[in-house]
Formats: sequence, C-alpha cells, structure tokens
Amino acid sequence: MSDPDTALRTDGLTKRFGDVVALDHLDLEVARGDVVGYLGPNGAGKTTTIRLLLGLSRPTEGRAEIFGLDCQRQPVETHRRLAFVAGEANLWPSLTGAETLALLGRVHGQVDVAYRDELIERFDLDPTKKVRAYSKGNHQKVILIAALMARPDLLILDEPTSGLDPLMEQAFRHCVHEARDRGQTVFLSSHMMSEVEALCDRVGILRDGKLVEMGTLAEMRHLSALTVEARFDGQVPDLSVVPGVSAVQADGSLVRCQVRGSVKSLVKVLAAARVTELVSREPSLEELFLAQYGEDGHAG
Amino acid sequence: MQADLGIRARIMAPVRAGGSPGSVIAAFSTRKAVRLGILWGYIFGLAIASSEITYSRIYKTAAQRDALAATYGTSKAMSALFGPAPQLQTVSGFTVFKISMALMILGAVWGLLTSTRLLRGEEDSGRWDLLLCGRTTRGGATAQVIAGLGGGLVTLWAITAIIAVLSGHTSNVGISTGSSLYFSVAMVATAAMFLAVGAVTSQLGATRRQAASFGAVFLGVSYGVRLIADAGVGLHGLIWASPLGWVEELQPLTSPQPLALLPIVAFTAMLAVVAVRVAGARDAGASIVADRDHSPAHLGLLYGPSGLAVRLLRATVIGWWIAIGVSAFLYGLIAKSTGATISGSMKQVFSKLGASGTGAAEVFGLCFLIEAILIGFVAAGQVTAARVEESEGTLDNFMVRPVSRSTWLGGRLVVALVVLVLSGIAAGVLGWLGAASQHTGLSFTSLLGAGINLVPPAIVILGIGVLTFGVLPRATSIVVYTVLGWSLLIVIVGGFGTVSHWILDTSVFHHMASAPGLSPNWEANGIMIGIGVAAALVGGLAFMRRDLQGS
Repeated sequence: MSDPDTALRTDGLTKRFGDVVALDHLDLEVARGDVVGYLGPNGAGKTTTIRLLLGLSRPTEGRAEIFGLDCQRQPVETHRRLAFVAGEANLWPSLTGAETLALLGRVHGQVDVAYRDELIERFDLDPTKKVRAYSKGNHQKVILIAALMARPDLLILDEPTSGLDPLMEQAFRHCVHEARDRGQTVFLSSHMMSEVEALCDRVGILRDGKLVEMGTLAEMRHLSALTVEARFDGQVPDLSVVPGVSAVQADGSLVRCQVRGSVKSLVKVLAAARVTELVSREPSLEELFLAQYGEDGHAG
Repeated sequence: MQADLGIRARIMAPVRAGGSPGSVIAAFSTRKAVRLGILWGYIFGLAIASSEITYSRIYKTAAQRDALAATYGTSKAMSALFGPAPQLQTVSGFTVFKISMALMILGAVWGLLTSTRLLRGEEDSGRWDLLLCGRTTRGGATAQVIAGLGGGLVTLWAITAIIAVLSGHTSNVGISTGSSLYFSVAMVATAAMFLAVGAVTSQLGATRRQAASFGAVFLGVSYGVRLIADAGVGLHGLIWASPLGWVEELQPLTSPQPLALLPIVAFTAMLAVVAVRVAGARDAGASIVADRDHSPAHLGLLYGPSGLAVRLLRATVIGWWIAIGVSAFLYGLIAKSTGATISGSMKQVFSKLGASGTGAAEVFGLCFLIEAILIGFVAAGQVTAARVEESEGTLDNFMVRPVSRSTWLGGRLVVALVVLVLSGIAAGVLGWLGAASQHTGLSFTSLLGAGINLVPPAIVILGIGVLTFGVLPRATSIVVYTVLGWSLLIVIVGGFGTVSHWILDTSVFHHMASAPGLSPNWEANGIMIGIGVAAALVGGLAFMRRDLQGS
C-alpha cells in the first residue's frame, strides 16, 4: 500500500457512532508536496477524518496511512512527521505562551528556533503573557506557531484561522505558501472557501461522510457549468432552447444562464443578436460547493 | 420523515427551566446546586444516623457512658481539635462531639467548592458571558446564582434533617423532631456561610482555583481561631471571632443557643450583598485581586507530559502534604496523653475501628485511619486530574505529537505513585516528630512503616480509577469518589456496630493493618498493590484501544 510519493492515504476508512455513520468508506490520497483542501458542512465528517488520521479515534473499518506508516499502529512514528492545528485551541491556562511553545516543541522533538521567533513576530504574539489572558485569536496563534515551528513533512489543519483577524489570516496564508515551497504537504479542512481557493492545489468535498468530489479546481470547474451574463440592445433571444444552456434568468435586457460542455451553439446565437455586454466566468469554489449541497447549504 | 419531525419536535420543545427570562439563571443554578445538595445531604444524614444509632447500641449502661465522658470530656487536646465535649453520657452529646466538627468542615468545603464552581468557574469557562447576554445584569446574574445556591443549601438541609429525624425516632436514640431539625440547621450553617464566602472570593480571584484558595485560607484561619478558643488557655472569647465558633455556640442537642444564629445569618447575608455589589461594579471576567497576566518563562519541569503534570499539580499536592503532615504531627502530640486514658469501653470502640496495640500506638492506629482516608483522596484526585486533562482537550496536544498513550498514562501513574508514597512518608515522619516531642517512645522506623502502610489502599483506589478511566472515562470521578465514600462509610458504621465481614471486606481501608500497634501486614498490602496494579493495567489497555472522549 505504501507509495513513496504519497503523504496521506485512506482505504475504506469508516467510523460509526452507534447507528450514525460519521465517515463512510473514505478513499483518499494526498501526494507529497500537495496542498489539499477538505470541505464539507458541519457534521459531514471532516473532523472525524482528522481524528482518525491522528489516531485520536479508532476506525470501525478501513485504515489510514501517513508516509506509509499506519496511523493506528504507529502513532508515535506518524506524529514525528506531522503537526496538527485544531480549530479550537485547548491549552493550559496557567502557562505563558513561551512556556507552552517550549513544552510543545520539546514534546515534538523538532523545532526551528529561528523560524519560531520569526513566527512570533509575524503573528504579533506576546509570549510572556499567560494563556488565560490571551484572546481566542491569540490561542489560535500559539497552536499555529507550535505546529509551523516544527517544520513537519505534513501539516494537518482543521479550521486553522478560526478567530484570527484578516491581517493574521494573511500571515497564515503566507506561511502555508512557504510550507508548500519547502515541499511540505498541507491538508487543510476549512469552511472558508476563499482560503481554500487561495491556498489549495486540490480540493475534496465531503457529504454525509462520503467523499463526493476530489480534484484540482480546474478539473472541478471543467465538469461544472460556466456562468454567462449578456445584455442586449433590442430583442432578447430565447436561450433556453440552445443546446447545453440551462438556468436561464431574464431581467429586462439582462440574461443570465449556465452552459455545460461546448459554448459553440450559445456563441452562434449571441452573435446573431445585438449584444452590448458579455461576461462569462468559471464557477467559484463556493458555487461548486453549493452546487453539491444546494443553495441552502443542506446536502442535496 | 416522520421520525425526523419527531426529533425536531423534541429539540424545539420549550425550555422548562425557569419561569421567566429573568429567573432562568437562578433555575439553572438551582438545578446544579440541588444535585450536589442531595448527594451531600445523604452523607450528612448518614453520618448523623450512624453516630446516634451506634452510640446507643455500644454504650448501653451508665457506667460505660461515664467512662467515655471521663476519657474525652476533660481532654483539652480533644476539645481543641474537635470542639468541646459536654454531655458525653447522652446520645446527643456524643453525636455532637463525634461528628459536628467533621460536618462543619465538610459543609464549609462543600459550600466553597459549589459556590466558586457556579460563579468563578462559569466565568473561567466563558459561559458567564453567554448568560450575561440575556435579560440580566452582572449583579443580577450573580444574585440569581446565589439564589440557586440557596436552593442547594435548602436541599442539603432537608435531606440531612429527614434522615436525622428518622434516626432520632429510632428506639434507644430518642431525639425529638425539633432537636433534630435544629441540629441539622447547625450542621449546614457553615455550608451557608461558605457558600457566601465563595461568592465573595469568586469576585476577588481571577480563577476558580484562586477563589477557592482564598476561601480555604479563610476556613483555615477560622479553624485556627476556634482551636485556640477551645484549647483551654483562657481565650474562649475568641470563639466569637470565628464563623466555626458561631456554629459551635449554637450548641445543638446539648444546650441550644438559637441567638448564635444571628451572626451566622448576618454574615451570610452581608457577604451575599457584597458579592452582588462587587459583581455589578466590575467587568465580567475581571477580578478585584489582579492576576499577573505576564510572567517570565520557567521551563524547568516542562520537558514532557509528566513534568507538566508535576508542575500543574504541585500546589494541590503540597496542600495535601501539609494537611497530612500537620494532622499527623498533631496526632503525635496527643497520642501519649490520650493513649494513657484508653480502657474498657473506649478500648472496645478503638478495637472496632481497627486500632490495635496499647497506649499511644493504639491511638496512632486510629488516627492513621484518618490519614489513610486523606491519602485516598489524594489518589482519587490524581486519577480525576488525568480524566480532566482528557475531557478539557489538553491531552490532545500530546496525543497529536510523538507521545504514546502508554507513555502519557504511565508517566501520570508514576507521578501519582510517588505522590502517594511521599504522602505516607510525610504522615509517618511528621507523626514521629509529634510523638517524639512528647517522649512517646515510639520508634522512627515503626512510625515510618505505619506511614508507608497507608499507601496500599490508596493504590487500590488509584487502580480502580484507572480501570474506570479506561473503560468508562466519563464515570471516572463518580466511581473513585464513590469507592472512597463507601469505604469511609463502612469504616464508620463498622467501627460502631456489627457488620457482616462480607460488607467490611468491600472497604479498602478494612484490609490495612493497624500500624504501629500491629506490624504492617505486607502480605495483605501486596495483595492490595497487586489488585491496584492489575486494575490499572486493564484500564491502561482499554485506554489504548478506545477513542479519546471529551466531556
């Protein structure tokens, strides 16, 4: 099963809590050096996947490997190669930031001290302050720095920017780009589509514990509809009869529609009409995500 | 679809806690406080009942009762430690002497912990901010919690009173309903005062631990002042300077003085008002005593999970060691004088409680039973702390790094064992120091052995705790404290009555030899250690095979 180019791999990974299937036969593969986004609404199974990868929970079926190491049987060896950032930092209130970073660094056994100090600067963290005096955003900064300073081969991030302000989010994105440039693998679970879109090479979408989409954004867009908006000067043609066109919405002289496959037929119709404005764009990640779940965000 | 609608209907059912938005916090706090009040009410009631019933069965004749009064009624040391002992010839006098000080202190601890948990604890967790977003103010919310604490106090009193009244009406006890009700008021009076003390210290301290520590210092000072007042050194007037002294002055069951309720009620009401006023005047999350937000890094112990455990637990553990060491020293001071007076029926009581030997050694045998219970609490606290680390999610920080579950749990257990052994050594060494100062004649090695002899029962408790932690983690706290409470109850009941050996065997303290009167039974100790280790191993294996579970 192990492949030297694979950072993370799951085979039929399943987790049930009583009658509830939290994760259903997940087959996932992340190559070394990839930055992969992992999307899904609350309860889709993202955190369950991560807890199984980290060995915090035991799978009901299937298995997971990180760098060829079994996540359940070799957790210590696996953890030497990775660092994890949770969406909610549970730290020791009586320790200072510096003490927390020192403890977590010693436990991990691998710290780039210069980079740690640089991260403290970048994230504008006061390490002399006790954890109990930190805001939520500062808690998050501590565990982000603790993970990044280890320079691990794999970063597993579960809603890592929860509580960070926009400036710190930018600092985080910069760190992820640096990690990718250094050849580190990043597995990013997030609700923030813009963050995933900006950072990730590949995206997986989880629905009801099942992986329903996995690929690069380009691949996913290719399979999805193109959005076209046209404004006409004069009579508006009937686009609903054009092959491949759907979801036609007319608002006076403005028509909005979606096109799947070739746009050749649509272009021919538009060319015959008097078009004053024409905008076409690929779907955003948010639109791709909502297409999987429906506009209301519920699994469809 | 119908099932889905059914679930939604249940979820959307109206919340029934509290009649109006303005009293929801009071109802919520009452529910929590009442639960604790029920549990401790049973403990208070059973302690009173066991004392009343066993006395009437053991001390049947006037001669036996006179001997008891002659032994304890005139001892200044006993008076200082446990309060005055008038009317020891009666069930009432004996009951007051035997359990009132213990219940007063337990009530104070209950009040302090409950109050700081529901006030500063909620603030620590961040839930307080959520509550303050409702239709209330900071002071109003605090007043509501105090009202809820009042509900818990009434429950504590009601259950204590019901059991005390029932016990009072049994044959040979003969205590009137009115006296039992008044006695129950006296026994929960410290709980009332320390609920209010906790409400104020929750405003002073920045954390729940700090708030509880301030309250504990106040309790210690109160006990110390009362001790001096009762020591027969001509300073009895000091009794009015201590809240514990006010309760003592109620003199329930012997010569009731209801006027002493006045300072108790006034003190409680005043502190409640102060707490509400201060809460209204300060920012949510802030404290009157400023906590140091900044600190230089002290990295000495922060090399891993075990070092961190030592650092986080050291203040609590040192507190236990001081309590164990000081009490052992005090027992050493009184062992010789008390031992000289043991004879006849008192010897029978000591024997039933498990004490063996003669004189000072026999007194130590009994007193070290109390030390064993304290060390049992230390063991329970250690395993509960491990569970808290898991439930609060801080354990995840280690489990996602190169630390195996066995390394973490093993390290915690080694720390716990060292703490338990040092607790036993502290009891032995400090007990010897106290005894040596009185030229008691007990050797250092015999008392050191007696101290170490206290550790095996605690190891059983630790092992049962780890077993529960591995198999049913959310039940860890309740199981260890139930085992401890049950063992304590069996010791009390077994000491003053006739109980089947099958039941006695279920108490971890029953298998401990009464050292130094008897030599430690290393075979029994070995079996206890074996049971503890086996239970811990099974628990450890279960822990390694289960999911980590939050609260």
